[in-house]
This record gives sequence, structure tokens and C-alpha cells, in this order.
Amino acid sequence: MPDIHEMETYIRRKFAEHVGLPESDLFGEDLTLAALITRSERMTNSVDLMEAFARTSNGLRKDFGLRVRLPALSLDTPISRVLEVFLQEAQSQQGRAA
Amino acid sequence: MTTVSPRVARESSAEAILEQGGSSHVEHEAGAGAANRPVIVADLYQAITRESRSLVDLTWEQQRLHESRRWSAMELVGAVDIQRLSESDRNLVWNAGRAELTTKPGADRLERLADAECRKWQGRNDVVASILQACGTWSRYWNEEEAHHETSFNRLSQLLGLEPISDATFIEYRKVFPDDDMLRTLTLLSISEIVAAVNYGHCARVIQDPGLKALFKQVGADEIQHMNYFIAFAKALVDSGEYKAKEAFAVAHLFLREGGEVHGSKRGHVESRGTHVNWWDQVEHREGLYSPDAIEKKESLIFNALKRITGMTVSSAQEVEDTWMDLVGC
Repeated sequence: MPDIHEMETYIRRKFAEHVGLPESDLFGEDLTLAALITRSERMTNSVDLMEAFARTSNGLRKDFGLRVRLPALSLDTPISRVLEVFLQEAQSQQGRAA
Repeated sequence: MTTVSPRVARESSAEAILEQGGSSHVEHEAGAGAANRPVIVADLYQAITRESRSLVDLTWEQQRLHESRRWSAMELVGAVDIQRLSESDRNLVWNAGRAELTTKPGADRLERLADAECRKWQGRNDVVASILQACGTWSRYWNEEEAHHETSFNRLSQLLGLEPISDATFIEYRKVFPDDDMLRTLTLLSISEIVAAVNYGHCARVIQDPGLKALFKQVGADEIQHMNYFIAFAKALVDSGEYKAKEAFAVAHLFLREGGEVHGSKRGHVESRGTHVNWWDQVEHREGLYSPDAIEKKESLIFNALKRITGMTVSSAQEVEDTWMDLVGC
């Protein structure tokens, strides 16, 4: 099982990849989801955002065997909070699997 | 050819159609007389590819169906006994009038988006270009029919002396939804029509005045017809192989997930948007007055729409999410 830092690094990298923004922009400025959609050339609306979350989640499932589902998040949610929710969900899945 | 035959409220109520999944009139055109009945071409891809039907053929069918279903807003509004309406009825009329204001920008956008997308495909995939042009062309009938809904309810609101819709609100509700992928757009419109049709059908059940009941039934039947058109266009895009089923599932998931759009203004958090107005976010519920929910009915119609658009069967919100996640990949 990956440790928390390994998982955080993975989620940051994958999410930045799916959103199409550098990790440093995304997490350095702690963009809100609304700002992220505006900034990313790959994003049109919250459906694209949902897909980026889904692909990150599918990656966690494929690479670590964890099934993580995110709740609906409002567009004023900062990305740091999204990361936090992702990690909480992943840890609780790990707990269940252990 | 698979077709959907026309029905108006006078012949078959919106409720009855909804009870049968919204597509109860899908039939195979066969035998004498069938060719004379105007239909929604449900298998549009096949109609264009195997049956070589042209845009002139398809447009004539749209025109025939539209003409066969026309009704008079003046007549139906005139048949409402405004003295008989309850406080609940009045609130339903007021909300319906405001909601219907958002349909014109929807239809205007569909026309523009479909035409732009059509030109993008011309020469690359002429069948897709034709599907999109058929869709953009049909938007004129959709727009005209929605005009009946909007003006009927808002005129009634005025006659009832309800809170007036200011010009500022009118203009706000005319804001145009931002552009998106065409399959997502058509799926969203299908679902919007499902939610509206179920709401109107349920309102018609509780309304006592025959005139107002008839108006809500008629509007509900129109919305079902629109849903069937949107599903037909969406299915044709998927059948073409150029549009991915995941986009239809994504939109369905957006509505069906916990706290999703299907709960409208009753959900815990409604996004505040400066870009456009989603009518389902703006319905005002008042203490003690009837407001339709019927979430299960809406969900089952959305599952049915997904089946018709993509050919994939789902029967719960969880299955919609699981299927969408599988389609998305890593």
C-alpha cells in the first residue's frame, strides 16, 4: 500500500495532467474549481472537471487498487480542499482494504 | 424505420405517456396509412445512410408533425377560469412562466451550435453534417412551441395579478447557456425536457380547474415530444461513431449524483452562475403549496433516455456513475 505522501504526489500529478495545467499553477495558487475551468484550455465546464476527477480516481484504482469517489463540490472549492477530500477517501478505502 | 408517432394532449395525456417511459409510441412504420402519419424519425442515422433520406425529406416530416400538433395559446389561456384557481395553482403558473423564459435562448443557441458543428463536419463526415443540420433546422419548431408555453403562462400570471416579471428578470433569463460538446448539449436538453414533462404532468394531476389542467397537460405533451426529438438526434450522433457515449453518461451523472441537478432548487447547494440561468435552479417553493418532485420517475426516464441514446442499459444512479467511470478510463 502506498503511504500518504506517495498518494498525494500521485494525485497532484495525475490531476494536473488531466486538467492540463502545471502542478505549480494549480496547487501553488490554490485555484478554485471555477478559476481552474477558466484557466485551463482543456476545460469547458464542470462536466470536464468531473471527468478529470473520474480519471484521477480510475488511476488510483488501476495503480493502487483503491476505489475513490468524490462528492459534488461547489465551484468555489479550492483545489487544496479537493486534494484533502481525495486523500481522506483514499485513506478510508485503504483502511477498509487492510 | 423506427418512428415515434405524434400525440397531443387531447389524444393521449402527458401522464399516460410518461407512465409508459416517454417512448410508448415508438413503432415500426408498416402497412397502409402509416406513411401518412407524421412521425419523429427515431433512427435518424439509418434513415440517412440506408434509406437515403435527404434533408428535404426530413424537414418535411418535421413540418408535418409540427403542423399536426399546433394549438392556440389564446384559446387555452381563454379556457382557464382564473377565479377558480387555488393559491397552489397560481404559484405553479408563476413558476412555469419564469422557467419557460429560458427556453428561447436554448433554442437560439441550439440552432447556432448545430449549424456551426454541421459545417465543421461537412466533407469529413457528411452524414453527421446532415444529422446536425436536421437538428438545427428542427430548433425553429422547438422555439415556436416553447413560445406558446412561455407566453401562455406569463399571460396567465398577468391576468391573475401575480408578482410581475420585470424586464431586468426577463433579460436575465434570456442569457445564453455557454457552448459545449454537441452530444452533451442534446443529452442535457433531453433531461431538461424529462424534468419539465414530469413536473407538468404532476401539476396537471393536482390542478382542479379543467382549463388550467388542459394547459399543463398540453405543455407536458409538448415537452415529451421535444425529449423524443433530442433523444433521436443524440442517438444519431452516437450511431455515427463520431461522438462518445461517455458524454451522454457524464451529463446524466451530473443530474443523478448525490446533490445533483435533478433535485433542482431543492438541493443543498445551487451554484450561483453569472453566465446563464438554469430554470430548474430558480423554481420557488412556498410553504404549504404544492411543488412536484417525482424524482424516481425522472430517474427512470433518464435511464430510458440513456438506453435509447447509447444502447446501454442502466437502472440506478450508481450504475450510471459506474458506467460513466468505465467509459472515461484513466
